[in-house]
Amino acid sequence: MPYALRRTGQAALVVVATFVLAFLLLHALPGDAIVARYASPELGLTEAQLDQLRLVYGTDQPVWVQLWQSAAGFLSGDLGTSLQNGAEVESLLAAALPATVTLASLGFLVAVLLATGVAVAATFSSAEWLRRAFRSLPPLLVSVPVFWLGIVLLQVFSFQLGLIPVINANPVEALVLPVLTIAVPIAAPLAQVLIRSIDDTVAEPFIAVARARGAGPRWLLSKEVARNSLLPTLTIAGVLFGELIAGAVVTETVFARTGLGRLTVDAVATRDTPVLQAIVVISAVGFVAINLAVDLVAPAIDPRLRKAVHA
Amino acid sequence: MNRTPHPRLSALAGVAALALALSACSSSQASAPQSSDGGPVTGGTLTYLEHQAYSTLYPPSAGFYPNGALVNNLTVRLLHQVPETLELEPWVATALPEVNADATEYTFDIRTDITYSDGTPLTAENVVANIDLYGLGDQDRALIVSEAINNYERGEVVDDDTVRFHFSAPAPGFAQAVSTNNSGLLADASLELDSEGFGPGNASEVIGAGPFVVESEQIGTTIRLAAREDYAWAPPSAQNQGRPYVDAVDIVIAPEDSVRIGSLVSGQGHIARQVEPQHEAQVAAAGLEIVAEQTNGVNNGLSFRFDHPLLQDIRVRQALIAGIDRREIVDSIFSDGYPLATSSLSRTALGYAEQVGAYEFDQERARALLDEAGWEVGDDGIRVRDGERLHLVVNEALPQPRSRDVITLVAQQLREVGVELELFQGDQAAQTAAAADIEQIQIYHSMVGRADYDVIKSQYSIENRDTLRNADESGEPIDAELESLLREVASAPAAEQRTAAAAAVQAHLTEHAYVLPFFEEPQVYGLQPVVHGFGTESVGRPTFSGVWLEG
Amino acid sequence: MSATAAVLLPRRTERAAARRRPALTLVLAVAVLAIALAWAILPWLFTSQDPVAGEALHALQAPSGAHPFGTDATGRDLLARVIFGAGNSLSGAAIAVLVGLVVGTAIGVLAGSTGGLADEALMRVVDVLLAIPGLLLALSVIVLLGFGVTNAAIAVGVTSIAVFARLARSQVLKVRRSDYVEAAFGSGGSFLRVLWRHVLPNSLGAVLALAALQFGSAILQISTLGFLGYGAPPPTPEWGLLIAESRDYVATAWWLTTLPGLVVAAVVLSANRVASAVREATA
Repeated sequence: MPYALRRTGQAALVVVATFVLAFLLLHALPGDAIVARYASPELGLTEAQLDQLRLVYGTDQPVWVQLWQSAAGFLSGDLGTSLQNGAEVESLLAAALPATVTLASLGFLVAVLLATGVAVAATFSSAEWLRRAFRSLPPLLVSVPVFWLGIVLLQVFSFQLGLIPVINANPVEALVLPVLTIAVPIAAPLAQVLIRSIDDTVAEPFIAVARARGAGPRWLLSKEVARNSLLPTLTIAGVLFGELIAGAVVTETVFARTGLGRLTVDAVATRDTPVLQAIVVISAVGFVAINLAVDLVAPAIDPRLRKAVHA
Repeated sequence: MNRTPHPRLSALAGVAALALALSACSSSQASAPQSSDGGPVTGGTLTYLEHQAYSTLYPPSAGFYPNGALVNNLTVRLLHQVPETLELEPWVATALPEVNADATEYTFDIRTDITYSDGTPLTAENVVANIDLYGLGDQDRALIVSEAINNYERGEVVDDDTVRFHFSAPAPGFAQAVSTNNSGLLADASLELDSEGFGPGNASEVIGAGPFVVESEQIGTTIRLAAREDYAWAPPSAQNQGRPYVDAVDIVIAPEDSVRIGSLVSGQGHIARQVEPQHEAQVAAAGLEIVAEQTNGVNNGLSFRFDHPLLQDIRVRQALIAGIDRREIVDSIFSDGYPLATSSLSRTALGYAEQVGAYEFDQERARALLDEAGWEVGDDGIRVRDGERLHLVVNEALPQPRSRDVITLVAQQLREVGVELELFQGDQAAQTAAAADIEQIQIYHSMVGRADYDVIKSQYSIENRDTLRNADESGEPIDAELESLLREVASAPAAEQRTAAAAAVQAHLTEHAYVLPFFEEPQVYGLQPVVHGFGTESVGRPTFSGVWLEG
Repeated sequence: MSATAAVLLPRRTERAAARRRPALTLVLAVAVLAIALAWAILPWLFTSQDPVAGEALHALQAPSGAHPFGTDATGRDLLARVIFGAGNSLSGAAIAVLVGLVVGTAIGVLAGSTGGLADEALMRVVDVLLAIPGLLLALSVIVLLGFGVTNAAIAVGVTSIAVFARLARSQVLKVRRSDYVEAAFGSGGSFLRVLWRHVLPNSLGAVLALAALQFGSAILQISTLGFLGYGAPPPTPEWGLLIAESRDYVATAWWLTTLPGLVVAAVVLSANRVASAVREATA
């Protein structure tokens, strides 16, 4: 079977398995959506009334039936409605997904730029102490809790200096601090990888040869080093995708943004299975697609991988 | 159900992978018009910072504050309760209702000049359809019965401007019930909506006759209300009898406390709800006004579930009360806006009766009572009887201010007299599920706000919240006397009888050491100095129609 | 999760960089970890204050001689809470790492050394673990097991299984293809024997380096769970929770988040420094 076709088949399998596993996991959690929404003593409903609501929402059925109905719904494009507030899952996602995708992609982009900057400075700065300072920057940034970073950035730039509003901000203003907050913890490991990758490349014999022939740092940087560092960056992108959603929840909560992360946390607290299943599917498809793309694109970038892949 | 077209999932997933779509969230800076003579000025956009997103606009669910804040400004009610005096006055009804002797029939004469924001008139048929839905609910559409309406049988259109409601048993709380947000009147089209239709994303389909209409919403982040230019039916006591002064209200969700307060203080918003006590100093120091509106109901406090084996002995319950220093709690983690409770009901609640000397802090007495009850101090300082530890679990009251800190302090205090108090850990669903189970939660931390005698029944009756878990396996009351007193409160036709019954309930709770109230819980708002005329309805939900902004 | 990805990638040499770096930082890092460990084991030696009970009337006091780190919102001594929190935080991080390390490495080694259909199946399971949003997985595990430091740690550990598994597998594959393992097989060694004697020891370096890195990141992740309300129950002193619970006071009581934050940063930094030392030593 051609490699690309096999990988695509595997990817589809992973999405289906994720869907089923997530459904069973959520079903096993204590308390259900009907309890979360209607059993609150505030509404004063009796157990019999709750059972009737379960009947209306179909949550009284056996787990396999519910799983089948949920899967059938997804296949026909109907994501159902939230058990918590009755909103259509589609409209919840239509609000949350673009916001998170924007945040995550810009965050990743800024992280790559930051990481590259730090890595270059850490390798090619003229002064030894500067190089060392830049080298210790990534581990320092890795050890800061994201929510703390977000709150401090807000306090300083929005509340104290009044530079960027967080309430009623225009789309650009609304993104500056959140993107920075989400970029820093991703930039840190990326920078570590890049620094190592550059170190490795610089130590390669062909670089020594090039140097001996009089090539300067700029030449090294632009050609070999850049090419050799691209692959690790790509590979790490796939792994970091899931983390972007996790990082997004903190950023979204702190900056009062809508998004997949906040939707996830709220839906878990209220056992809102239809919303969570939709998030799982999106996340699984996104994860699988990015990894598939990386796997298929990587050989094109690094010829050394071509042989391995086709072996 | 109204469906709007949406991109399909496949398209969304594609977007997830790569696209750099910009989220559409544009809005303008809050701006205010110039004021010349110091009187109310018209115009401007008010920015209101809210703690949580609303969950539904179905009026009987308006008890949840974010829901109530919207319903209160979108709808009119048959009657209006004046927040300062808690007296009822006409609104949609032209006068207070005629009530028969045993309070089983209410007749209202209604105005006929009111229109809903979709242009349809507010008619007698429409009013009856509203109250029928709230009084009976509709299981098929997952629309629940209103907690405020008891014993409802049916509504009747007497003539074009008269409606009558019939009850199977006395319902003296009904007049107040139709003044609450839970009875907000909706246009016929909105009464057709199901539970989904009232949910987020559909707010503009919920049509009322109030001073504001929903102009737009972004699920989970903002909702914009626009003033109704032709609004001319404010309740008689309202300062502003015409259209709202502001042109629009932007309700912005900022769940993180420090961010909401930081935004308010730095001038990015005009009003913030839920200013926690720990933030009051910061808000006041910046020259902002703090408005603490009392909620006029059952105080924030603990209910001891007396049927649990560990709490069956009244001496143990008395020891818990004597072992807790309420003064320390209120003084150290709350502010002046949180007065120490003097009964299970708030001082400003209808039917309040002071319980003198009922909650004295006296550790020696607590120890003596526990000794007497046979609980002896064990090796680790926690009391033991017949090999069983005196270990109790209390819930975390998620919506209440600083519940965690309160419980942390209470646990510290009780430890000193040998009682181990554990905070039940769980998210919303887990807390709700555990709250009903006496094996999991023996002490329940909660409060209720509603400005009617009925509120005490809502809290303790086995028909309602039953915070004491007074219902046994078969649903019969364990303390039948308490239950019958509570029903008396909710069914005695005359106000004097209801006052007497409410006082008897409070005395009963004290005598049996069932509850320990901490403080009278307010809704606390922070206001920028440019905001004038801000007020709330009778349990602290914001009313925007009287607000005006100074330049 | 964040720091872990760094070691996933194939590396060839870092000796040049390593030689330049002074050992002083490593000594410092070990010292920081040693102090933290001492706090965890014998906290009462370092403070006489009560970490769970405070005097409410002394709430929110700035750092002073009596309270070097100040006091928190209910009047507890912050330094005492940090010192007593070391036990919870370090054991939590250790549990998280152990869960990921043991389960993940087992899956990875099994997949890498058997190959074929078993490898394929195991790696798809790992994919599924990665495809479920880590946040959702962690929250579900906590809701399922109940709240508490240990369960939060297990939840964090579960989310790292996939990363450990992928790394362990790639290491095993690399070692398997090497000449001496081929030779060991060639000279008639049994599969398990070769696995135990040659493959495992040679694959372990990178995995241990990841474990050390994951240790620091686990502390942060447990703190994020605390921020979301899924942390340890009060009054448990736990570092992440100390920061998460104090975030309301960033503008008014700087010491409440900053000082525990610095302690966490120092420990995480030290763990990372030790991680890179492990990597160099086993390279």
